[in-house]
Amino acid sequence: MAAKYDVVVVGSGNAGLSAAVSCVVQGKKTLLIDQHNMPGGVASSFKRGRFEFDPSVHEICDVGAGDDLGHVGHIMEKNGIDVDWVTVPDCYRCISTYSDGTPMDVTIPAGREAYIDAIEKYVPGSRASLEKFFDLIYEIRLAKVYMFDGTPNDSKYMQKHFPNTLKTCGYDSLTVMKALGIPQKAIDIIGVYWPYLGVPLDEVNFFHFGNMIDMYVTRRAVVPHHTSHEITMTFMNRFYELGGEAWFNCRAEEFLFDGDKCCGVRTTLGDVECKQVLANINPNIIYAKMMPKELVPEREKKLATARKDNLSTRFSMIYFALNKSCEELGLTDYCVFFSSTADSRKEYERLKSIDNDYNILISYNNIIPDASPEGTCIISFTKLFSSGEDWSKLTPEEYYKAKDKMIAKCISDVKDKLGIDITPYIEEVEVATPMTFARYLGTPEGTPYGFEVTSWDGVIARMTDIEADFNIKGLRHIGAGSFFGDGYSSTWINGDMTAGLACAEISEGGNK
Amino acid sequence: MALNVKVGLIGLLDMLKFANLAKKREQYINSMPAEEIKADYPINNFAKAMHPDYQPLTVDEIIDHKAAGAKTFIFRRSDGKPASYFRAGQYISLKLPIGDSFVTRPYSISSSPKQALEGKLAVTIRTNPGGFAADYMLENLKVGDEIKGSEGLGSFFYEQYRDAKHVVALAGGSGITPFLSMACAIRDGIEDFKLTILCGSRSEEVILFKDEFDKIMAETDKVKVVHVLSDEQKDGYENGFITADLIKKYAGDEPYSIFICGPEAMYRFVDKEVAKLGLEKKYIRQEFLGATKTVWEHEGYPADKKDQVFKLTVKQGPNETVCDCSANEPILVAIERAGIKAPSRCRSGECGWCRSRVESGEVFIPAETDGRRWGDKQSKEIHPCATFALSDITIIVPGEYY
Repeated sequence: MAAKYDVVVVGSGNAGLSAAVSCVVQGKKTLLIDQHNMPGGVASSFKRGRFEFDPSVHEICDVGAGDDLGHVGHIMEKNGIDVDWVTVPDCYRCISTYSDGTPMDVTIPAGREAYIDAIEKYVPGSRASLEKFFDLIYEIRLAKVYMFDGTPNDSKYMQKHFPNTLKTCGYDSLTVMKALGIPQKAIDIIGVYWPYLGVPLDEVNFFHFGNMIDMYVTRRAVVPHHTSHEITMTFMNRFYELGGEAWFNCRAEEFLFDGDKCCGVRTTLGDVECKQVLANINPNIIYAKMMPKELVPEREKKLATARKDNLSTRFSMIYFALNKSCEELGLTDYCVFFSSTADSRKEYERLKSIDNDYNILISYNNIIPDASPEGTCIISFTKLFSSGEDWSKLTPEEYYKAKDKMIAKCISDVKDKLGIDITPYIEEVEVATPMTFARYLGTPEGTPYGFEVTSWDGVIARMTDIEADFNIKGLRHIGAGSFFGDGYSSTWINGDMTAGLACAEISEGGNK
Repeated sequence: MALNVKVGLIGLLDMLKFANLAKKREQYINSMPAEEIKADYPINNFAKAMHPDYQPLTVDEIIDHKAAGAKTFIFRRSDGKPASYFRAGQYISLKLPIGDSFVTRPYSISSSPKQALEGKLAVTIRTNPGGFAADYMLENLKVGDEIKGSEGLGSFFYEQYRDAKHVVALAGGSGITPFLSMACAIRDGIEDFKLTILCGSRSEEVILFKDEFDKIMAETDKVKVVHVLSDEQKDGYENGFITADLIKKYAGDEPYSIFICGPEAMYRFVDKEVAKLGLEKKYIRQEFLGATKTVWEHEGYPADKKDQVFKLTVKQGPNETVCDCSANEPILVAIERAGIKAPSRCRSGECGWCRSRVESGEVFIPAETDGRRWGDKQSKEIHPCATFALSDITIIVPGEYY
């Protein structure tokens, strides 16, 4: 006899964890399954020698603190998730070239005033336009709270209170920043964060991008004290505490249907019946491999066609444990972006190549002194790829050579751009590639980012009709492939919101 | 509000543009053809081939090293595919159905990664006292038999950006196997470093792979093997044990890394010798030790529990099994004896593949083999391969894919 639950959450990455906890908080009998032997997806950790590494996290936004909780902060509080957060004081240092070809080396602190002061120093004359920019993204923050609080939106109210949001948010970010009169060089500096959304500034919707800047700069970012596995275990402990069950090393093989309604999951540990499924799986994998073909809606086939070449960023991460402290090595910044150009469109094109020059250096010990044993430090590099083509061609022998090449590139980046030679101090080194992410996440080409938030498929377009992409009765998509796009914060919010929809449907006793 | 932003010419049109985002999206989607959705990606297929749920392996050939009390089992992939590519020095976890139990054992791969591409993989197994799985394999496994194995696992391999260009390997008994694989990889042009192996054996007669190494040394000058005989004095061999002086003698003046693989008794000896060399930690790497066989000797272990037998309840998915578990055996052993297929790989507390959750009960975890993550230590997660029950206990274990 099949086990019975109200909700089965498939995939225990960030969205799955958030959704699962949300379901048990709402009193639903919930099963969480994951094909890996442990929860978390990218929110995890791994050990090498005397070091424990975070596989993915740079900066987490929208948490906030005290009286100024962000959306994520509110969800965490509501669901009883209490993580030991560390605040990130600076946004970043960026070593690149401005769009006009002149060299860029800027260090940008967090906090509105400090941020504007710094940019004014590098690009004199930008202050007035930046003040306007920050007023606008503050309005967007308020608009976002109003729009996504779960109640219907009144257009008259919005026109009165959020007129500038409504006027700008149909546009891409580059157009809006230009319209605000921000000098190009200042746009270049603000735009450094663009890869966190996966598409260039002339493509990504301003509401989305502007809100991200507000969250990172105004509200400041945080990181977990003891790797993102700490966050995952906080979710898991809360989930167990409220009676949730979790099966690991348990793969969902297919979704079971009663007519056209999903009524359960066939797993490697047996069949499970449920009222609602929350699937933290890329939707295309479900449609292609995990349900009867005849039940795949025509509209979802069209959506897949529209998104055909739009898988978002793939990653390679290179992790080093060094047997000297950051201080001894002269690694003073938490986060350094190395790119070949601040022109996001040009850079996006270059990121198609496996040999691109883009790299992000994170030196954890600068904000978490005990991230590794005394006298040592952990640093990681993040390389991005806007296409999986080069990686797709590798043979097994070439694969290990490609990993070594990634290591060599990181060593030369810190040597050439920061004047620091880490070569003699490498105690541990590990490389994750798109294949590694594919192995642990099971996402297409290993992307943790879902589908690109292109001009037609931006987050705001998706979110103004949240259920538009949920066209299978009893099954909703969560995670980066769902409506809120990529990132820890977005997927936590997405998981919580979607769990709310599923639980409400169960409580109403009806089907969608 | 003083702020009045203008992007387009007329503000009202902008608002309409915003309001229409979802509608426009729907129109765009509907303008597309409804093609069949294929989710087939070379990157994912590659990951699956490198990290399959398991590799089906058929015994292709058995080489009997009679004097050494060992056998080399050469496997080929039963499904005709190439074996998962690996780094020379890695181990595979063999999954053995013994009686009513499902037991795993980690063995270093002794063949070259090059042979994996031809579908072949070899391990060498030596009898050892109380070695129940090793004895089972030595006595029962025949050519044509099929078993299951993992992909290559672990971090015991040469990494050019981390290790010195010269590796001095300290091997004892069957601990020589990963170094044979490394030597083959150097010969085959897959790895590029200088490898000096100090191999401890009792006598010339029981040396493993002497001919294989002699052949490799004839083909490349990057590999050198020095046999160290403890019970025999003979020309052409070092006599005694692997001491700091011996290591220095063969290491030469250039920087070197030490790689250690052998039985527990050897670690205890060479650890002290290696400490005398004053090397930085990064230049010393050792293969996993295995879980302790004498847990009661560990600090903090409540001696009165040693011979007690507790009730172990194992939850796996919807299933629940109750069995006995001695206080002096790793919980994993009790799980296996009960006929439950639970995941495990390194069996040394390190890799975390058997990671499980204690729902209730008390456990003892020796500090030396506590490879858990920080977040797991704060929580109720354990690695059953290196955890011991101190009371009746209920644990939740992951599933297994074979």
